[in-house]
Amino acid sequence: MLTRVKSAVANFMGGIMAGSSGSEHGGGGGGCGGSDLPLRFPYGRPEFLGLSQDEVECSADHIARPILILKETRRLPWATGYAEVINAGKSTHNEDQASCEVLTVKKKAGAVTSTPNRNSKRRSSLPNGEGLQLKENSESDGVSCHYWSLFDGHAGSGAAVVASRLLQHHVAEQLQDLVEILKNSAVLPPTCLGEEPETTPAPSRTLTRAASLRGGVGAPGSPSAPPTRFFTEKKIPHECLVIGALESAFREMDLQIERERSCYNISGGCTALIVVCLLGKLYVANAGDSRAIIIRNGEIIPMSSEFTPETERQRLQYLAFMQPHLLGNEFTHLEFPRRVQRKELGKKMLYRDFNMTGWAYKTIEDDDLKFPLIYGEGKKARVMATIGVTRGLGDHDLKVHDSNIYIKPFLSSAPEVRVYDLSKYEHGADDVLILATDGLWDVLSNEEVAEAITQFLPNCDPDDPHRYTLAAQDLVMRARGVLKDRGWRISNDRLGSGDDISVYVIPLIHGNKLS
Amino acid sequence: MAYAYLFKYIIIGDTGVGKSCLLLQFTDKRFQPVHDLTIGVEFGARMITIDGKQIKLQIWDTAGQESFRSITRSYYRGAAGALLVYDITRRDTFNHLTTWLEDARQHSNSNMVIMLIGNKSDLESRREVKKEEGEAFAREHGLIFMETSAKTASNVEEAFINTAKEIYEKIQEGVFDINNEANGIKIGPQHGATNATHAGNQGGQQAGGGCC
Repeated sequence: MLTRVKSAVANFMGGIMAGSSGSEHGGGGGGCGGSDLPLRFPYGRPEFLGLSQDEVECSADHIARPILILKETRRLPWATGYAEVINAGKSTHNEDQASCEVLTVKKKAGAVTSTPNRNSKRRSSLPNGEGLQLKENSESDGVSCHYWSLFDGHAGSGAAVVASRLLQHHVAEQLQDLVEILKNSAVLPPTCLGEEPETTPAPSRTLTRAASLRGGVGAPGSPSAPPTRFFTEKKIPHECLVIGALESAFREMDLQIERERSCYNISGGCTALIVVCLLGKLYVANAGDSRAIIIRNGEIIPMSSEFTPETERQRLQYLAFMQPHLLGNEFTHLEFPRRVQRKELGKKMLYRDFNMTGWAYKTIEDDDLKFPLIYGEGKKARVMATIGVTRGLGDHDLKVHDSNIYIKPFLSSAPEVRVYDLSKYEHGADDVLILATDGLWDVLSNEEVAEAITQFLPNCDPDDPHRYTLAAQDLVMRARGVLKDRGWRISNDRLGSGDDISVYVIPLIHGNKLS
Repeated sequence: MAYAYLFKYIIIGDTGVGKSCLLLQFTDKRFQPVHDLTIGVEFGARMITIDGKQIKLQIWDTAGQESFRSITRSYYRGAAGALLVYDITRRDTFNHLTTWLEDARQHSNSNMVIMLIGNKSDLESRREVKKEEGEAFAREHGLIFMETSAKTASNVEEAFINTAKEIYEKIQEGVFDINNEANGIKIGPQHGATNATHAGNQGGQQAGGGCC
């Protein structure tokens, strides 16, 4: 009870702080900032693993690197398989996080049900500390929605833990106002709420909470007849509203972390990859360098792309070009094939700017001697020599080492959302969606993963409830490898992944059963 | 809870010999007649006292099935003790001991203490492996030996604790490099601290260690 009061107060404080924060990144004064603050949530492994404190301690063994799997007694929706392993020593904790739930989204605000897959009595965590009550009964006017998430933390585990506990509630909150529209698949979503003839005027529903607090100023829904229009109108399909809801949920999650870090210790940042199955479609939203692929009949269908300094170079360069102060006079937004040396001043060197994918020559000036905004290749590419991933949540306090230059303006919380229509295909028991953090993909290609899966699954009993977890364990084992004299090794004596590795194997056949 | 030492154990042996049941009996003092097949690794932990010192046992329970052998093998490293279990009512589980032992010796550190356990001693009427055979195998390979019953709890405490005593003695003899975590031994957070900090349960530990 006390903690709930505390968190309510904290949320209130967070709200106030957010209003006036802006460029203010509280440097540890006045009891806010720094690590004396309490954790938002205690560190742990994914809730669905159901590990005790002792088990968490055992799992953090950087020498033997035990592969954790879903226990025999536990089940995830759709018989989803899961396995994970800790890094080889780069951080004390496994900084990956995951969560998986069935959400029931109901139209009425205050009736979003979260059903954790284990039968705990834990109250659902609330995005804003306000009343989303647990309701056990009907889904009569609600929509059930499956949710899987995967987060890869860096510079601390705080943001990943918070996101794994709260992002699902933001997703549910964003979707709840859309439930009626989405269920009515025969009619395109109304462009303007309250204007459609078949929609009864119900201003209270269309109001955002903020608007209602403002006393209903600007509330639509005045009962005048819809005006005749003479201009063309874009047709917005239903799935685009879901995409928009997921994008908003990511943004809200990031804003919440920003607010709450004044009262909680929420360390570091994280990538986020989530899958939502809603009304027969899979929505895969990715911000960061985790990856999702579908393996259907042995064929690979990529469901995400990675956001790294290399893939987002032009966006980052353009931002730096438009807002050069973000570079703190220490970096140049231009890219050169290598560091420019002082003795090369006045010579012509290859370079590229935000508007280019090709290369050209320019005369080297003083400014070009500065450290490049994006430097390094492949996994070593960094933004301002600091971070290797360009989208995700958190990182609000991340600065260039030994400077006052913030990285956050260059990072985006916006996910790329891809849609997969489950009903368009017949899926077999070996057709799966794989989600994994970069620990897997750094050492195994899509093809190798697909080959492993198409070898493994057909050799399992199709009725074995653990087959997808065993497949996930197999993938983690292939990426971790075995510790030899010269480090962790995988097939063909290649280097195994020393990173945290987390893998979901989600069978798609269950998606067909739904619809 | 504070401990002087932490020892990491691994339990190995054929599938169905009772590895998970031994662990459950030791950590929870209960017996579960029907147990799901272990398909990965599971953990247990318990505090014991040896020589007046709190010792935390961290126990890794592995899958016995052949198909998980490569994963199980990778867990030997960093274990201070191993319980190698066979089923006295199934001779084949006894016959496979050599393979298990080879595996363990090859993938673990050389000082790992191995306790050979003939489990299911309550099923005397179905016995296929004589106690003497187990003793002989242990003698031949330099292992400690006990027959246990996870069902009746007979000798279960002893098996885990005697292994710990053996490890503890090796530490006293200086055989283990306790600063190398790859040996499966960790020194507790309060070990070596002055008595002034904790007058409670661990207060006499320094003095106790010194005079024994």
